[in-house]
Amino acid sequence: MSDSKKQTVLLQTSDDEQFTVEKVVAERSAMIKSMMEDLGDQEGMPIPLPNVSSSVLTKILEYCDHHKNEPLPAPDVNDADDSRRKTSEIGEWDARWIQVDQEMLFEIILAANYLDIKPLLDVGCKTVANMIKGKTPEEIRKLFNITNDFTPEEEEQIRKENEWAEE
Amino acid sequence: MDKWAPIAPSKPGGLSTTHALSARFASVLKPSKPSTRGSVSVGPSIGRWSEEEVLRIIGFLPISDLPNVARASRSLAKLVMDERGWEVRCKLLELGADTSVSPRRDGLQKLLPTPKKAAAFPSQHRKSIQPDDDFGDFSTQGNDTFEDVDFGDFEAAKPNGRGGSTKEQSLLEFDDLPLPSRPTGGGVSGARTTGFFALTPATPKPGGPFPSHPPGPYYRAYKAHHLSLLPLCQHLRSSPSPSSTLSLLFPPSPITALPPPLPSQSDILLSLLLFLSPRIQPLRDWGFLRQALLAAADRFDSTCLVAFEVSDEKKDEMGMRSAAESSWKVWEAGGGGRDQWECGRVWVEKREVFYDTTRWDPLENIVKVPTTTGAMTKQLDFTPMDAFMTHVLEAFRIDAQIANTVFPANARVILSFCDRVASDVIGEYIHPLLSQARAVSQDIFLQATAATFVQAWKLVDLVMEVVGEEQTVIHRTQVEDSVFQMFEVHLDEYLDDETEWVKQHLEEICRVWEQQPTFLSSSNPDQVKRNVLAGFRDALLLPVTIVPRTVTFGVNAIVTGSSQAVNGLAMLNPQKWTGSSGRGQLVKESDGSGEVVFAIPEEKEKEIEVGHEEEKEKSDEMSKPTPSESSLSVPETDANPKNHSRTPTPLPDEAKPFDRLQMLISLDTALELIQTDRDSLKRAETFARYPGRYGHKVREAIEEIFILMLKAAGDRHIAPGFRIATNQMSTYKPAEHEETTSVAPLLQFFELVHIGDTIQSMVQVYFDKELALYVDKTDFSNAVMREKKRFESVLDDAVAAGLNAGIEVLMNQVEHIILVKTGPREYYPVEGTPLDLGPTNGCREAIKCLEMHCDLLKGSTSKEVLEVFYQEVGIRLQAILQRHLKRQIISLEGGFQIIADLNAYHSFVASLKQQRITDDFSNLKMLGHVYIVSDAKDLAQIVRDVTRYGGTFTPEDIYEFIQRRSDWKKIEKTVDKAMYALSVKEDCVIM
Repeated sequence: MSDSKKQTVLLQTSDDEQFTVEKVVAERSAMIKSMMEDLGDQEGMPIPLPNVSSSVLTKILEYCDHHKNEPLPAPDVNDADDSRRKTSEIGEWDARWIQVDQEMLFEIILAANYLDIKPLLDVGCKTVANMIKGKTPEEIRKLFNITNDFTPEEEEQIRKENEWAEE
Repeated sequence: MDKWAPIAPSKPGGLSTTHALSARFASVLKPSKPSTRGSVSVGPSIGRWSEEEVLRIIGFLPISDLPNVARASRSLAKLVMDERGWEVRCKLLELGADTSVSPRRDGLQKLLPTPKKAAAFPSQHRKSIQPDDDFGDFSTQGNDTFEDVDFGDFEAAKPNGRGGSTKEQSLLEFDDLPLPSRPTGGGVSGARTTGFFALTPATPKPGGPFPSHPPGPYYRAYKAHHLSLLPLCQHLRSSPSPSSTLSLLFPPSPITALPPPLPSQSDILLSLLLFLSPRIQPLRDWGFLRQALLAAADRFDSTCLVAFEVSDEKKDEMGMRSAAESSWKVWEAGGGGRDQWECGRVWVEKREVFYDTTRWDPLENIVKVPTTTGAMTKQLDFTPMDAFMTHVLEAFRIDAQIANTVFPANARVILSFCDRVASDVIGEYIHPLLSQARAVSQDIFLQATAATFVQAWKLVDLVMEVVGEEQTVIHRTQVEDSVFQMFEVHLDEYLDDETEWVKQHLEEICRVWEQQPTFLSSSNPDQVKRNVLAGFRDALLLPVTIVPRTVTFGVNAIVTGSSQAVNGLAMLNPQKWTGSSGRGQLVKESDGSGEVVFAIPEEKEKEIEVGHEEEKEKSDEMSKPTPSESSLSVPETDANPKNHSRTPTPLPDEAKPFDRLQMLISLDTALELIQTDRDSLKRAETFARYPGRYGHKVREAIEEIFILMLKAAGDRHIAPGFRIATNQMSTYKPAEHEETTSVAPLLQFFELVHIGDTIQSMVQVYFDKELALYVDKTDFSNAVMREKKRFESVLDDAVAAGLNAGIEVLMNQVEHIILVKTGPREYYPVEGTPLDLGPTNGCREAIKCLEMHCDLLKGSTSKEVLEVFYQEVGIRLQAILQRHLKRQIISLEGGFQIIADLNAYHSFVASLKQQRITDDFSNLKMLGHVYIVSDAKDLAQIVRDVTRYGGTFTPEDIYEFIQRRSDWKKIEKTVDKAMYALSVKEDCVIM
């Protein structure tokens, strides 16, 4: 038992930094997990993560380490069934952990998607959803850094279309 | 590094079509700024975000925030409409997709559905959870049921009607609205822009470019559902109290003045519960509304309970069932907060079986009976508990069958009922019984524990019988758990007591035997062994009755120590194996010249009587031979012609101490040990299915029980017996005994080895039959396997130590025989005596003695031990013979006698098939030649020819032997000269 705990894997980020990570921690990422399985036991062979920078990986490993003892989500639960169990609540630790600037939040979601860490992806998206809550369309545009590509008529049309949901 | 590239896109597969589709919109989107994502992201994006991520984010948004998001940009508007998000929401609401082909425009959304309609929708939709439902008759049925549905009809219409059409609040009603911006691009941008709002009611353009996205079926389904529930939410918001909420939600029908039936009420409440959930957050004040709803649901629960009770009194199972189902659905969806489903709990609590326990007295199971000696003793008779269990189980069966039809399977009412019965009825019965039993005696406590558990276990089978094995809601393990849990309190005590009991009883058996050893005459050890083992296997198949009842009472009630083994093993009584000569008689066994007498003490005779009586009692259980016609008896075999029965001539024990050597260990005792151990094991085995921590403890106890038996049999019984035997043998002085060809202690030691071997085989059979289930035989670190190995090595060591001493004794005897039986002039006969061509008397006797003992050992000990033994015999015999020769005076004629003897010894040794010592004896045979060569010079030649003797003898050794020649004085000089003088002449040159 103690043996498997000590097993580590080497991860290499986009900025060529290497991280030695416990396997149980790295396994949070379904992507790394399947890579490790494909790779077998090739000692010292780094797993490249070309889409993840070292600063983001550090942050994410913090999350993985904290959750390493939780059961892994089943690999192919479809989203609809999955969401049945999910609440919109973010765990206390997660909420504190995700208190980062927008840039980092974006990077985290990006990396979570790439690394295929479903619970982390949900935490990120819920956080963004919380940020959107109660915002005006203009504020939302700002948040996403996009411009209004509607004509006023179109926008009015969309507003009408969704009026029912306003209560 | 390169090989990683193909894996990089993290979301292949399912989404590719979406990506392909949405790629067409890429041109309208604001170009995303380059990001680290680089080649990874193929799909369109919103700002830096991929569509998929934004979709996920939108999925977490409350419904009320969606309009603002949709207004932010075209791509966001599209994502808000995206079916994937709505599909998830519909699934949460247990809604099917709205698959109506062409959206109708009849229902304007401002025309809110009446409460009546609202009530109808959810239930109908929840019936259509499966998206692939058959919607075929939808258009014809839908409208009719819509307007003037009353709830009575609705119930009937539900199975086939697809009222879903009623919620056709078309999303496209704004088709009629004047939409100023229809051609945004004024035709410049061609098809894409002209399609923008180009939807006409009749011809929607599915899949047209943005924003002509017709709302998908899930979107429409959700929206309809949402709108239909809004007025109900208004009630929740405005209602002052939970009870008034219910009357607002379910106004009495104008026709019957009755509120809608409970099932429809529960459907609506269920819809609302699903709707007002944190995952959907349909309204801004959903949290408040949910609280109000939960309060109302509680209220509804009570209403259902009342309805249930009323139906229960009327024995109206249908009514009970519908009330129970309504209540359960709402309770289940409400989730959390409340500990147990009220309706089920109340029903279980009211079961009669909980209230009539007083008329059963558990202590009746402990009865007083007279023992054989007339005294009263307390024993167990579980007839009262049988009656109790029959009653309880029957009551349970009737109620459980009702529960099975009345309650929804998911409510697991039967399980909690079973739980309660196990702990409150059966448990309450068992607890005082066990504590009383414990106060009476350990024996009774142990037996009662196993017995009550077996009784309680019947509940499990009954539950499974009622609910059926094939259903998946109530698992067998859950039912078992309720019995396990009820019994758990007794288990620690039981396991401790059980191992303690075994320990004590095994010790007791050994002690009793030590004080009054029993005897077993064995005229044919091999046959006995085979019979014992055959009988023993059968004995292990005997059922151990865990629950004592009147009929088999005398047999199965636990009785004390020694007779217990006889109880279970009456058919195995060792007496029966040993011969058919009258029981209680003394069997005298003699062989050849010596006498070995095995006395059967009187006590043993009694035991046979006891066994006989008990057999009669048991005969209803199993038919078996009475002792007189015992099928296990060994015919007094003629295989060994030397043995025959004689009239009893008891000899005092002390006169022949060695006669009792064989009795130092006893098959009988070993049987008792195993049988006692098996009783205990069988009791413990009752609990073997315990899961978790206690299961572990039970298995440990089972192992412990077996280990204790091994220790008792090995350390306590076999090892001391062998030790005594070994000591006795080492004090044996051949000269003090008259017998010549048989060494009594050795002979009996060999029998001892036989018995030891038989015991080991019995232990092995016992292990294979009873313990192999619980022990991994290949796991050498397992305690049982270690202990079993140790037991075997104790026996091996004892045998080896005994053989060591035995060889000493045997060879002393052989030397003694040779000494005594060899006449003074055996090898120096008076001239003219006619030569006897056979070996001398002493030689024959010695070989006979050796042969007998070597044969005895065959088959009763391992091959290795046997080989070592034979070699040792050979080596020592060689030494004895050499010593013997050097004591003789041998004439030329006697030399032929020597050769005859040596030939005889050689052929004996060759029969042992030990190559090394056979060679040695061939060489010894050659030595004989030195006594028949008359010419001194030739003699010297032979002496010097080392190769003749295969290296066993040097010329100096041979020289010693030829000194024993009767004519030595005469030939000494010549020989010396031939051997040494010549050498002096040749080698020593005078300088």
